Amino acid sequence: MKLFKSIKWRLQLWYGLILVVVLAGFGFTSYQLERNRQFRHIDDEIHRRAGVLGNVLHRPPPRGPDGGGPDGGDQSFDRPPRGQFPEDGPPGRNFPPRTQFHLPEQDTHLFDASDPNGFYFSILGRDGKLIASSTNLPTLFDIYAGFSEGHDEAPAGAPPDSRAKGPGSLPVRTIGDFRETLQSLPSGEQILVGCSMVPELNELHRTKLTLTGVGLLVLLVGLAGGWWFVSRALRPIQEISATAVKISSGDLAQRINVAEAESELGQLAAVLNSTFARLETAFTQQKQFASDAAHELRTPVSVILTQTQMALGRDRDAAGYKQTVEACQRAAQRMRKLIESLLELARFDAGQEMLKRLPFDLANNVKDCIELVQTLAEERHVKIISELSPLPITGDSERIAQVVTNLLTNAIQYNNPDGEVRVKLESQGNLAVLTIADTGKGIAAEDLPRVFERFYRADKSRTGAGNSGLGLSICKAIVEAHGGAIEATSVSSTGTTFAVRLPTNVG
Amino acid sequence: MRILIVEDEPDLLASLAQALREEGYAVDTADNGEDGLFNAEGTDYDAIVLDVMLPGIDGWEILKRLRKTKKTPVLMLTARDQTRDRVKGLDTGADDYVVKPFDLEEVYARLRAIIRRGANKTTNVIEIGEVKVDTAARLVSLKDKPVELTAREYSLVEFMALHRGEVVTRTQLYEHLFDENESSLSNLLDVHVSNVRKKLGAEFIATRRGHGYCIEG
Repeated sequence: MKLFKSIKWRLQLWYGLILVVVLAGFGFTSYQLERNRQFRHIDDEIHRRAGVLGNVLHRPPPRGPDGGGPDGGDQSFDRPPRGQFPEDGPPGRNFPPRTQFHLPEQDTHLFDASDPNGFYFSILGRDGKLIASSTNLPTLFDIYAGFSEGHDEAPAGAPPDSRAKGPGSLPVRTIGDFRETLQSLPSGEQILVGCSMVPELNELHRTKLTLTGVGLLVLLVGLAGGWWFVSRALRPIQEISATAVKISSGDLAQRINVAEAESELGQLAAVLNSTFARLETAFTQQKQFASDAAHELRTPVSVILTQTQMALGRDRDAAGYKQTVEACQRAAQRMRKLIESLLELARFDAGQEMLKRLPFDLANNVKDCIELVQTLAEERHVKIISELSPLPITGDSERIAQVVTNLLTNAIQYNNPDGEVRVKLESQGNLAVLTIADTGKGIAAEDLPRVFERFYRADKSRTGAGNSGLGLSICKAIVEAHGGAIEATSVSSTGTTFAVRLPTNVG
Repeated sequence: MRILIVEDEPDLLASLAQALREEGYAVDTADNGEDGLFNAEGTDYDAIVLDVMLPGIDGWEILKRLRKTKKTPVLMLTARDQTRDRVKGLDTGADDYVVKPFDLEEVYARLRAIIRRGANKTTNVIEIGEVKVDTAARLVSLKDKPVELTAREYSLVEFMALHRGEVVTRTQLYEHLFDENESSLSNLLDVHVSNVRKKLGAEFIATRRGHGYCIEG
């Protein structure tokens, strides 16, 4: 039963069935038309002959042997002397009954007795007695039975007017392999003309065989072609499923081989491929993220392990233990900060971070942030130069302050001593543009596009407690949640500039 | 045995240094690549503990540059437990590695192993006459009876034993037994030698006048 659930087999079955029905209908109709044609032809022939015989019977029998020789009229009707019947009277029963009949010479070719399949006739008198017959008359049948008007054997497919055709629409019958017509003359005689249909039936049989053969051939070709076509059409599905199986078993790098990009399945495959690619990217990022997060935890855990193992290695005084506990605390706090950052990012990723949408002055916000980092700047001998004019925007002021503080801290930490940080806020159409430029050593061009990546550090070793490697990622997440954009540009040994663009009217 | 630790995380550096000092090593420290390389090139350490991720010059680079001049055994501290990194480390010339976070015991064992291999010794136990030095257990025995030695005395015996048959100069001994922060008062070494002779027999360490000391055999 599995076979019938396969689309391929069901399609094959369905159009196989349709093909059979169409071919059978076509074949049957062709056969019937041919059969009708043959029968009509026979009927025409026997009617014609019946007509000829009828005409001969109508004609008054030739008087004397003037028809040609003493026995020249041996094929003419032997009738009573003409004088007995009015010559110009209507033919009919007022003729005396015939007793003899001779086929005229010129009509003998119509009934070739030597041909076993040729035409034959018999003529019955008014009293039902046989007057004359051709020598090849079969004697098998009841001579009157089975006649019907017109083409009694006409199939349903034959045109209805075919019955009306033929001379005089004489009754015909098919008896055995013979086709016969019976003509009753007004004078009471009856003429039966018939012929064997064996050649025609043979011909019809051949036609039947030919039609069946051609039909089977067409069916076979149709099925084979259909099989090929369906296989071809379904091949992408097999590829898709094979690829999907490999992907589900863990090989995310697999792609569907898109051979026919134009077909619907090709388009589907292309869509699936791009989905797979996105999934793989997301999965790789996720894996990288998890591995980076684990990596970040290695150092603080190392600190705790070595500190505690060292401290427990021998008895110590209170100061020694205190030192160890303090180091452990620092490590734990570093881990806490890391975990908080990770959770914050996870919330942004999941779209669960709820931002406030309140109007506030971005210039004031930035000013507060600058005050916050002023101490750090003084420690590092970095000067902060700001150029701010009021710029009202709508958004989450705390989150924006987090971004600004982070960028300012970076600008101070990565600056040269006696360097500068320039903060500028300006309005560009619907955007508030905040630029924070430092005079540090800059970020290398190959690192620049990656600075917003999680755990990416231009300087691989900056794993200090204050630097989780997630700060800029969080900045980016916050700015993008506001519908804004953040970018970094850098000139080597001149400094780095971070530009934050925020729509003034968020959401 | 004198060891250099190059590590940028201050708490980790401090605890590692203290732990190894308590194990009897003389320990120098560096918290960045430049200082680390400078120290490593300038002093004959018995081993170097080198972190891979360092500000300035990273661990790989230090190793590469150091290998041009010195064969000092190096134990790498890596944060990434990936075959690629380990292979890279070993190919660059590291003698061994430990992956963070590590147990101190593992660091001790691996350090002992690379120091032993650096001195071309294959076993932990060195026998000199009736004296046995077990470098794994850090125990010295005389006629199968354990002898109590201070950490510094043990280091002296171990260093001499690893270099048996060679004349070890006083400078060498200072370099390997004391770190850069200790004042190298010359009589401190004499005190240690004298104590060892008291415990293991006067003839255990011979004095080569004008050259240094030697363990015969």
